[in-house]
Amino acid sequence: MAETVVIGVGNRMMGDDAVGPAVLDRLTGRVAPDIALIESVGDATHLLESWRDTRLAVVVDAVVSGGVPGSVRRIDGRNGLPSTWRSASTHLVGVAEAIDLGAAVEVLPDELVVYGIEIGSVQPGVSLSPAIDAAADVAAEGIVAELEGVTSRTA
Amino acid sequence: MTNAREISVEYLARVEGEGSMRVEVVDDHIEHVEFSIFEPPRFFEAFLRGRPHTDAPDITARICGICPIAYQMSSVHAMEDAFGVTVGGPLRELRRLIYCGEWIESHALHIYLLHAPDFLGYQSGIHMAADHRDVVERGLRLKKAGNAIVGLLGGREIHPINVKVGGFYRTPTKAELETLVPELEWAKEAAIETIRFVSGFTFPEADMDFEFVSLSHPDEYPFNEGRIISNRGLDISVAEFNETFVEEHVERSNALHSRIRERGAYHVGPLARYSLNFDKLTPLAQNLAREAGLERVCMNPFKSIVVRSVETLYAVEEALRIIDEYEPPAAPAVPYTVKEGEGHGATEAPRGLLYHRYRVHDDGRIADAQIVPPTAQNQLTIESDLRYVLERHLDLPDEELAWVLEQSIRNYDPCISCATHFLDLTVDRG
Repeated sequence: MAETVVIGVGNRMMGDDAVGPAVLDRLTGRVAPDIALIESVGDATHLLESWRDTRLAVVVDAVVSGGVPGSVRRIDGRNGLPSTWRSASTHLVGVAEAIDLGAAVEVLPDELVVYGIEIGSVQPGVSLSPAIDAAADVAAEGIVAELEGVTSRTA
Repeated sequence: MTNAREISVEYLARVEGEGSMRVEVVDDHIEHVEFSIFEPPRFFEAFLRGRPHTDAPDITARICGICPIAYQMSSVHAMEDAFGVTVGGPLRELRRLIYCGEWIESHALHIYLLHAPDFLGYQSGIHMAADHRDVVERGLRLKKAGNAIVGLLGGREIHPINVKVGGFYRTPTKAELETLVPELEWAKEAAIETIRFVSGFTFPEADMDFEFVSLSHPDEYPFNEGRIISNRGLDISVAEFNETFVEEHVERSNALHSRIRERGAYHVGPLARYSLNFDKLTPLAQNLAREAGLERVCMNPFKSIVVRSVETLYAVEEALRIIDEYEPPAAPAVPYTVKEGEGHGATEAPRGLLYHRYRVHDDGRIADAQIVPPTAQNQLTIESDLRYVLERHLDLPDEELAWVLEQSIRNYDPCISCATHFLDLTVDRG
């Protein structure tokens, strides 16, 4: 198991929902080879298994919370996500649900960073809209900088 | 004074699809039941047109994050049907094996984290985990055992990429498959415990008159192959699907409802597979089913959680058998020649029959695609179940009534990434 994982949540066939995986694409080759890049559809149990026994997990996901599309927010995820990011799901799909489930069974990384990228809506499609494409760049740069910091701290 | 009640459940489609449930009751008379949870994958059908036939398994796998293997399997079987290719021997066995992995992971997720909370009185798997951590951990580990099969054979767990028309891009060595065995041996015991665990739940009474539809194969519990049969005499080849089943547009919504022509609703999924193929289960799975109180035919949809547990045990046993008998094939895929034509494929997704049809141009590009997922086929049956449950529980307060209605929907494990979150529940009294 990698010490550090970056998990991109989303479906590549669903337009701007693919922003999480799109950030992973931008990270490929730009982060240390021992950092695992994992794509996820957001099934809470898969997220939980992806960050089990890791020290640092960075999760990137599309968010619909009424904010400006393309805005990027970075938050400490160990204490849960803002209520506007929640789906109130009973189906255990989503990062918020994964964090809650992880807390209940004590499977959380030591450090959990969540990048939420605001999207307008989800429509089928295979490309990102320009604002979300630009936001993916912003998020990727932020994560690269963050992971460089990790490397220097552990070196 | 008229007492009107309206109960509606709205769904947020985070990934795709949209739907809703709405019930109107006036003076204890059910005025209206409307349920639509699944939007057919029309975008994918359109997107496939003009693309190479080799894209079908990987693109359709993205329709559902929970059951990508089902989409891959139905698509490759349909293409192979179009080209006149037969995949047998170890390659066929490996396809069954990867399907076992998908059933295990999908069933474990639904049993432990989505459905068990309904029976134990929790709002969600998260709430249940706080009180039943060991149980939830068992479910997670069982699911992971299924994921490991899909990961090994599919190249990766999410959106597996190793499946192709004719077979696989790469087949595993015997030693690679054997790495799965210790965890599957654990999973076998866990699956037995699962059956015993869920059979202790209290089940609402229900004795439905379903027309069950599933694949049936003379020698095996069905995954990839067989004729489409029902308990009312249906017995057709997969190619006859559209002559028998029809997707009808429903005026009041955008949904399409599947029916058997001139007959009506039908039921696909674990209950149908089990009831039509009980004899093909392993002796152990049959014995555990009996011990759990199941008859050979199960018409109570609330007991689907028990049937899913029995199928989980079967899938673990079948996976162990396949690994034990496996000898690597000479080549990872069967060669084939592209030709113009039409092909049909139907396989048993965890949620039931999944039908694909493709027409292919002589250069191998897709001319036309049709995909009929199980959740779409079950919509009409779910609606009639809701009516049945309503009729028998009208005396319940709104909150409890909504609970049992949601539970009725979850009996079908409606495809989560293709369908839904329960976003909000409102009860409106007139």
